[in-house]
Amino acid sequence: MFVAVAVAAMIIPIAAAGRAQRGAAPAGNATPPTSPVTGSAAAGKQLYFGYTCYGCHGYNGETGRAFVGNWSSNLASEENFIRFLRGRANVAPATPSTSMPNFAESTMTDKQAKDIYAYIRTFKSNAPELKDIPALNAIINSASRPYKP
Amino acid sequence: MKTNNSVNRRGFLKGAAASAAAGAAALVTNAEISEAQGTGAGQPGAAPAAGSAPAPVPEQVARDSGNVTPPATVRAVMRPGSDLMTQVLKDLGVEYVAANPGSSFEGLQESLINYGNPPNTVPEFITALHEESAVTMAHGYGKAEGKPMCALLHGTIGVQHAAMSIYQAYYDKTPVLLLAGRDDGFIAAHTARDMAGMVRSFTKWDAQPKTLEESLLAIQRAYSEAITPPTAPTLVVLDIELQKEEAKGLRIPPYKAPQISGVDPTRAKEIAKGLVDAQNPRMAVGRLRTPQGVKWSVELAELVGASTSTTATNGPMSFPQRHPLCGPGANTTYDYTLGLEAAAAQASIMGPGLTTLLSRDTTNIGFGGIAPGEGGSNNRGGGGRGNAPANATPVQADAEASLPAIIEEARRLITADKRRTIQDRIAKHTEANQQARIQAITQAVQSKRAGWDASPISTARIYAELWPLIMNEDWCLSSPSNFSGGHHVQLWDHNKHYSYLGGQGAGGMGYGAPASVGAALAAKSRGRIVVNVQTDGDLNYAPGVLWTAVHHQLPMLTVMHNNRAWHQELMFVAYMAGVRGRGTDRGHIGTTLRDPYIDYAKMAAGYGMASEGPITEPTKLAAALKRGVDAVKRGQPYLIDVITQPR
Repeated sequence: MFVAVAVAAMIIPIAAAGRAQRGAAPAGNATPPTSPVTGSAAAGKQLYFGYTCYGCHGYNGETGRAFVGNWSSNLASEENFIRFLRGRANVAPATPSTSMPNFAESTMTDKQAKDIYAYIRTFKSNAPELKDIPALNAIINSASRPYKP
Repeated sequence: MKTNNSVNRRGFLKGAAASAAAGAAALVTNAEISEAQGTGAGQPGAAPAAGSAPAPVPEQVARDSGNVTPPATVRAVMRPGSDLMTQVLKDLGVEYVAANPGSSFEGLQESLINYGNPPNTVPEFITALHEESAVTMAHGYGKAEGKPMCALLHGTIGVQHAAMSIYQAYYDKTPVLLLAGRDDGFIAAHTARDMAGMVRSFTKWDAQPKTLEESLLAIQRAYSEAITPPTAPTLVVLDIELQKEEAKGLRIPPYKAPQISGVDPTRAKEIAKGLVDAQNPRMAVGRLRTPQGVKWSVELAELVGASTSTTATNGPMSFPQRHPLCGPGANTTYDYTLGLEAAAAQASIMGPGLTTLLSRDTTNIGFGGIAPGEGGSNNRGGGGRGNAPANATPVQADAEASLPAIIEEARRLITADKRRTIQDRIAKHTEANQQARIQAITQAVQSKRAGWDASPISTARIYAELWPLIMNEDWCLSSPSNFSGGHHVQLWDHNKHYSYLGGQGAGGMGYGAPASVGAALAAKSRGRIVVNVQTDGDLNYAPGVLWTAVHHQLPMLTVMHNNRAWHQELMFVAYMAGVRGRGTDRGHIGTTLRDPYIDYAKMAAGYGMASEGPITEPTKLAAALKRGVDAVKRGQPYLIDVITQPR
């Protein structure tokens, strides 16, 4: 395990850079989609954790490769989402176009995908307004203070 | 070399047995005295009542309360060799020696703790619970101070425990002084004919001296080699017999600090002229060797009015981030750019890289990023020289050592008219860089709002809440931030040579906490505090280092980035499963720290460290961080377990 972790950690900068390039998300839509949702968000929550979606997208869809505020066209509808999950699985699995894992139907059913989609659609920003966050205001104010060696 | 005065293992054991016998006799005598004095029931030393412990005798009470003067003894060795070794370390200004105790350096350890007035200072003996921790402490210290700390290793087993940390410090081009004890007559498995051979490929220099005098010279040379570019760990193997040998009148050889050469005078003039004559000069400052190099880089930039770039947000020893000249400047069309350990268009002064040490790769490891054909990186932690622009003039010399001559030449060339022009340029750069900084921070804080109230807590919030608490302190961010979002890069000001100590060196785990202890050792006597944003997987390699922080009362705040996983690996495995079309629902196997979760506050408490957590509610974070900062400002280490978003 040690070697694996160490070696993996060594390649992180390269891998991360490579994946960032390969998986650079197109500028998304700040407004969440409004298309119909047919899945179960409750079931989707379990699947979202079980399939480790949180690993890249955060537990709340607000951190990492966030959904909130950056709604990709792949999330515009259930159909788009499922097409995205499946679309690359049989095309170029060894050299996928993004770092997003492929999900063939054998590994995630349409129902499961719809449930996950339903859960993702519950994500929304709970962040306070900037003026209501003392720490961030203190940081802005600190930017103007004179330099002290 | 064995001498007539040396005390070998067998002799030592014989002496120890005699001492033990003498001690036993003394105890009998004490008991007899008690009886003769007629101590009765209920008095100290009286026979215990059934079922109760005996009361202590007066001598025991006196000893326990520290009121007993040890008996005068005749010292078998009046001036042991290890006293001289210790004196060499003192003369070199080595502040700390970290070690996990081992019999192969018992002579040196005894000298370190008892020799000198006062004893156990410069160097102070730091108790480590693992050799890997000891070396990484020295790694962290070396990055903070630009000079070596010492790690003391026990025989073959200690060197092997330390090997990964040595490798990592080597990759990070950090000066570390390693001493290893060697005892040829005790446990055969703990010794070797060539002790340093195990780590030769990734140390810069080593020696296994045969005499005491050679040992003293070897320690001095190891120090010099470690601080000479390319800076790196060096190792001296010290035979136990030499540590115990009677030195008699042997004098410590005078130490001559290494002369590190910079660019030749002609090149210094060319560079100075380029900077002074330019309408808009630029300096790209990478990682220099020492704090003095940073000061010189500031002096040169201010002298010629050059806007600068810095690597201070990537690691130590670079240009102050908030210096008025640091930033793009008022005009981004630069007509002369000087690189100091960084690539630049007109002149890139680059010190020797690790490739210059490849002849020591005797086992043909073929280091990634170092060996020929492996490419290289543009930082001191990689393969040495960067990839300069096609039109660059690479100058192979140590940048820091080159600066005094360039500064001197620039001073000669600056006329009164040029001085006025430079002052005008500096004013414009100052204004432009200030505006750029305010704009960048304003944009950054907006991005950090995402997930502000999320639970688990966002890593951005950790860094954002920390900054107001430490911005007016003298602080050092000692832990790598590559796994925790690196939010300090955008939010904090990195103005000191130690503001951020950068990454692990070779990406090896088990680095954050011990490197932070090393940084805290540097900080302790200098009035700083150290912040360690500690990833959970990393801490579990050798968590005993928390005890070291408590034992030595180090000002180290540890904030756990506890995502309950080796999260990078979780993503790698999930990705691989996805690529292979097998689903990601088993990606947690072998990559997560679940069932059970680890309670780091309890772990810290077990080592005696004040702690709290786990904290899952973001609204409770700021108050916890304040308690932690207050504790470390009082000189007490503190740990806060924060359950976080993965990244």
